[in-house]
Amino acid sequence: MIAFLPTLAEPHQFSLGERLVFLALAALSVYFFWRRFGPILNRIWQSKKDPDFHLRPVGRRVWDFVWEVMLQAKVIRERPLAGIAHALVFWAFCAFALVTLNHCATIFGLGFVDPAGRLGRLYFYFAAVFAVGCAVAIAGLFVRRFLVRPKWLGELSWESGLIALLIFLLMATYLAAFFVANASALRALWWAHTLTLLAFLPLIPHTKHLHLVLSPFTVFLSRGGFSRIPPLSGDEDFGLVAGKDLTRIVSLQAYSCVECGRCTEHCPANNTGKILNPKEIVLGLRGYLNEFGPGSDQLLLGKYESQEAVFACTTCGACEFQCPVGIEHVPMIVGLRRGAVNTGAWDDDHGAKFFLALERGSNALGMSAAERDKFVEKNALPIFDGTQEYCLWLGCMGGYDPRGREIVVALVRVMRHLGVTFGVLRKEKCTGDPVRRLGNDLLFQQLAEANLEALAQFKTRKIISICPHCVRTIQEDWKEFGAPPEVEHHSEFLARFASKLTPVQSQEKIVFHDPCYLGRYRGVYDQPRKIAALAGELVEAPRSRERSFCCGAGGGLAFLGEEKGERVSHVRAAELAATGAGVVAAACPFCNTMFRDALAFQASESRPGAPAPELLDIAQIAARGLPEN
Amino acid sequence: MKIVVAIKQVPERDAPVRIAANAKWIEERDLAWAMNEPDAYALEEALQLKEKLGGEVIVLSAGPERVGSTIREALAKGADRAIHIVCDDLAGGAGGGLRNLDALSVAKLLAAATKPESPDLVLTGLQSEDLGLGQTGVILAELLGLPHATLILHVEKTDAGIKAKRELEEGWFQSIEMPLPAVLTMQSGGTKLRYATLMGIKRAKTKELRVLNAAELSVGAPPVLVLDQIALPRKQKSTQILGGSPKEAAATLVDKLKTEARVL
Repeated sequence: MIAFLPTLAEPHQFSLGERLVFLALAALSVYFFWRRFGPILNRIWQSKKDPDFHLRPVGRRVWDFVWEVMLQAKVIRERPLAGIAHALVFWAFCAFALVTLNHCATIFGLGFVDPAGRLGRLYFYFAAVFAVGCAVAIAGLFVRRFLVRPKWLGELSWESGLIALLIFLLMATYLAAFFVANASALRALWWAHTLTLLAFLPLIPHTKHLHLVLSPFTVFLSRGGFSRIPPLSGDEDFGLVAGKDLTRIVSLQAYSCVECGRCTEHCPANNTGKILNPKEIVLGLRGYLNEFGPGSDQLLLGKYESQEAVFACTTCGACEFQCPVGIEHVPMIVGLRRGAVNTGAWDDDHGAKFFLALERGSNALGMSAAERDKFVEKNALPIFDGTQEYCLWLGCMGGYDPRGREIVVALVRVMRHLGVTFGVLRKEKCTGDPVRRLGNDLLFQQLAEANLEALAQFKTRKIISICPHCVRTIQEDWKEFGAPPEVEHHSEFLARFASKLTPVQSQEKIVFHDPCYLGRYRGVYDQPRKIAALAGELVEAPRSRERSFCCGAGGGLAFLGEEKGERVSHVRAAELAATGAGVVAAACPFCNTMFRDALAFQASESRPGAPAPELLDIAQIAARGLPEN
Repeated sequence: MKIVVAIKQVPERDAPVRIAANAKWIEERDLAWAMNEPDAYALEEALQLKEKLGGEVIVLSAGPERVGSTIREALAKGADRAIHIVCDDLAGGAGGGLRNLDALSVAKLLAAATKPESPDLVLTGLQSEDLGLGQTGVILAELLGLPHATLILHVEKTDAGIKAKRELEEGWFQSIEMPLPAVLTMQSGGTKLRYATLMGIKRAKTKELRVLNAAELSVGAPPVLVLDQIALPRKQKSTQILGGSPKEAAATLVDKLKTEARVL
């Protein structure tokens, strides 16, 4: 049937003059491409080697490459319509690789795919299908960018328009060749396609379309793990202080940004009026590299990066999770914080007081350790001696904060009911989560080592905690200083025993808020929902699961005083309350404390008269169905 | 300006304090240690003076080996070098460090180590958080034959010497001028403390730490004051229920807070 369709026509004879003009133009095109791309490659290559980089496990990298690059899964998942349009353009480019090679070869009479041959026809039709898809998609993307204009794309850029036009022309000139028979028209078409191609090439490194070349490598070579903070190496590494501290991965990522603004769109700080814009953090590094280069002693915080912006990040990881080109924003932001804090350049009243409190004391709340002892004693919590199954990690919130303690008490009731043995450490220090994210490596190391030592004493094997921040820090961040025991969040524990827990169904709807450090950081979404559902009918907030919106407490920000602009917690609480749910279920003591105030504010200020939803941790929901003692 | 800062290592503030078996001191096993807070303010003031005027900050501490961690902390925060007077086995103490010494004996040790340095200024906390005698700095001044002032919050260099801000009772302050060299005992809270940094700790590794043996300083003379016994305060708890209308109860409460508890 394919034989009845038109055949792609190619001009047959090219004059010597034409060949010479082609060669000259191609050389010029490659020259302008390389003149820009060469130095970029050089700046990436001249950056510091990543001390902890391992190619293994390769399987993970191949999978990321297939999933994120070849299948465009991340691009499509986060913005389906624009994502599919982008994927169509990308797939067309892949399908066109052979078409383009063959196209250029024909001028020398070296064409290797015969348009009239069986395979050739098949291939050119295959490419034509993609070309149609691509032409429609790029036209759609043009309309989106220049007429619909979502604010995340930023200022209008003539480059994007030009690139879109060139891509459209490439496809149109290819498709037209199926329907043109006139020899001179064919020749004109061939040249139009060729000139478009040669104009396109040098534009790539001069515009954000550099991601065409770099991002497949960026995705393949990512650090791996979510928001993983790389270890410091040697005596002169204090984080990202100056250009000399930028590693190859950081530089590669900086040049890969495609400026799509997904990171900005989902950033809780940016959405509530802070000056932080994750996209600008990445582009700032690129600007720095362009001006000062990778070996420079010029401080990174200054012309291109703002200290205030860097310290407005809640480390919720929404940016990194969304990024379609594999940029790891959180290690960059934490890296810049490390550079400022480890050298003492960060001068912040709240921050300094917070660090001093942890230098001298044991917990992030700055309370006396005796307060924890009293709590342990009052609730007759057994002391962990290595014979119990679980070491119950109280954490600062569980040990000192009144609401956090209620969560612990509820969990303890459930554990006792289930007959699971546990004990708490006699002495426990902050895991170091907030200081780790704020970039204080000295303090973090001291806290991690002290805790690892205390746990090793009793050969602790399993830890359970009510705090996703503790869980993350113990499991991942402590690895730098030892081998932490296995640790799980209480939602995972409770979900395993869900069948033994009695539902206390109210007639109310219940909305679960995904904590960043449980969801995006740990990939735990269903377990807490399973427990939350014990209380009633589960409804979802507009932004939930992977897209959950931060409570505002992460990244040490809970300890840095009043935020500028709108409060992140108020925005999220309003969203949760607007679901009409009577119960807000949380699974993190930090979220809990943020929402307690924010929901009360909701009820008193923005929706006076409306009752605030009840705020419960999933442990409290699980404990509600237990018989009284 | 050359400044010597005398610091003491004390039990961490929220460390669980237990009385040792002989009731002469607290049980030191399992204790965490920290820099005495007023000494931390003395160090901070010294570092700020150095940053403004140039010069050198030398930290000086007497005590057993464990004191090394506090000395390193001071070096990490910016002191240029340190002197550690090791006094482990003095007066029959088994690793007890300073506990068998009185303020005079400690001051003698500090003076012996300070004198050869001929500093322009000696700073120390006004008292320690453990024993709280409040004498060491003052005696040190006497032994060095230098003028001193106590309860200082802030120091400024003048042409003739220094101008210091003293804290008096009930929110009053006194400004005094004095010549150099001098000894000042510093009050907490006069300035903002800096936090320790990784860079500071790494740099501290290469700084000079001179170790002196207490016995070699030959200050002689046994302590004139001997600690006989220590005890934990007896817990007193009394609850009063204030009756009457909320308004009356509030008035009574305010009155009691003023006259009995004296917190208002």
